[in-house]
Amino acid sequence: MEGEFQWRMFLKGVNVVDMSVTSIGDLLYVTLFFFGGLGFCLGPFLAVFLLSPKKTRNIDNKTGQFIECGMEPIGSAWIRYGVVYYLYALMFLAFDVDVLFLFPVAMAYNQGQFAGGMRDFIEVFIFVGILSLALVYAWKKGVFKWDRKVYQNQ
Amino acid sequence: MDINLVYMVLFLAGIIGFAALNAAYLVWVERKGAARIQRRTGPSEVGFAGLLQPLADGAKLMSKQILFPDGIDKPLFMLAPMFAMIPAVMILVTIPFGPVGFGPFADFMLVAREMNIGLLMIFAFASVNVMALLLGGWSSKNKYAVISAARAVSQDIAYEIPMILIAITIVMTTGSMHLSTIVESQAGGFWNWNWLPLQGNLFGPVTFIIFFICSLAETNRAPFDLGEAESELIAGFHTEYSSMGFGLFFMGEYANIVIGAALTTILFLGGWLSPLPASIPFIGAPSVVWFLLKMYLLIWTVVLIRWTYPRVTLWSLLNLAWKIMIPFALVNLLGSAALIKILPMLGL
Repeated sequence: MEGEFQWRMFLKGVNVVDMSVTSIGDLLYVTLFFFGGLGFCLGPFLAVFLLSPKKTRNIDNKTGQFIECGMEPIGSAWIRYGVVYYLYALMFLAFDVDVLFLFPVAMAYNQGQFAGGMRDFIEVFIFVGILSLALVYAWKKGVFKWDRKVYQNQ
Repeated sequence: MDINLVYMVLFLAGIIGFAALNAAYLVWVERKGAARIQRRTGPSEVGFAGLLQPLADGAKLMSKQILFPDGIDKPLFMLAPMFAMIPAVMILVTIPFGPVGFGPFADFMLVAREMNIGLLMIFAFASVNVMALLLGGWSSKNKYAVISAARAVSQDIAYEIPMILIAITIVMTTGSMHLSTIVESQAGGFWNWNWLPLQGNLFGPVTFIIFFICSLAETNRAPFDLGEAESELIAGFHTEYSSMGFGLFFMGEYANIVIGAALTTILFLGGWLSPLPASIPFIGAPSVVWFLLKMYLLIWTVVLIRWTYPRVTLWSLLNLAWKIMIPFALVNLLGSAALIKILPMLGL
């Protein structure tokens, strides 16, 4: 009976969610899980190393070739490609950094000394309004139009 | 300090086992589902109803040779599959699956480590997945893989924003990023869950659907699987991966589906809480069973969507995020912020 009680206290003690707990514990867990995940990734490769054939028949040096459904690849793949992706990435950059600032705002919003009153809402409104200008600008500039662009005088 | 090494290792083993088991058997569920929906032949030969098929697949993958094409960026090529899998394991540290709910350890919370910044940490590690797609596609030096990497990255970053904006709305209404606190704030029956606007989330049901769609798009699932569109890009960013390199990408994808469904459950569907008030005996008790029920229901929806809808085009995919979802998420954020302030003024 005594032993069982201690076992349950042991289980509960580990899982008490204490808001003041130091972040060292969090880091310890995350680090351990990082190495656990690393082990989970490397373990199968060890099995592959032990199980797989070391060298297959290499007919006409085809195993080193890129997969293009049997065709001989023409030219390198590392070339320049559509700038559209870059524009989307730029917009993301403008947005994502700003969005991250909203997390602390959301945590403090309507809590403690900020409770009640419309001041916080107006501030958030201004912030999100300016943030949205990035989207409006890109929209007006025609980033979202995927028209075929024809260049006559090249 | 409540750190216990035995405990950490037990949870680590449990979570890795959970991730591996889910990856293996969700493939089985998916292939069975595809067979039922599209009149194909699913796995049926290996074991009863093909139940041993995932094991056979795993053994086959492990006994294949790893191929490196000539002239690739080898260090990045080897690093990319790990970028797909490791963050998924690290995210599962902080996802609370709820109390056991029955038996001698009814109050025992199934979570490795609760964190104050749990939600932020999940988004931080979830965005590492983009790196896996980019590095895998780019370092392969295959034209299809490079196209796929560009597509997948632009898709993932586009859908990350409405997802985070909606999560911010939830944080605002709950005042916490602690996942257990978010779940507990939804207590008292399904009408208190965040998918209804009673908690202050103005367009509740729509945000729930947007969040779910975003989690689909983030995991590169059909109809948003532009990154690995089989009919146009062979296999997308993992075209050149053989053996376990491919296997890790695959496991990472399924682990991310589990995480997406779990997160949707926690944020919108009341996590481990019962849909009925806790005053009702037995059925009303919070339990991990409810959590898994909701999570697997969402995952089954994901499978159902994959086999019923055709793939979208790239521009409609990106524009859906930038033109519809992000403006809507912003409006929802502002509306909810106003609602939180106005409701106390009206005495509600």
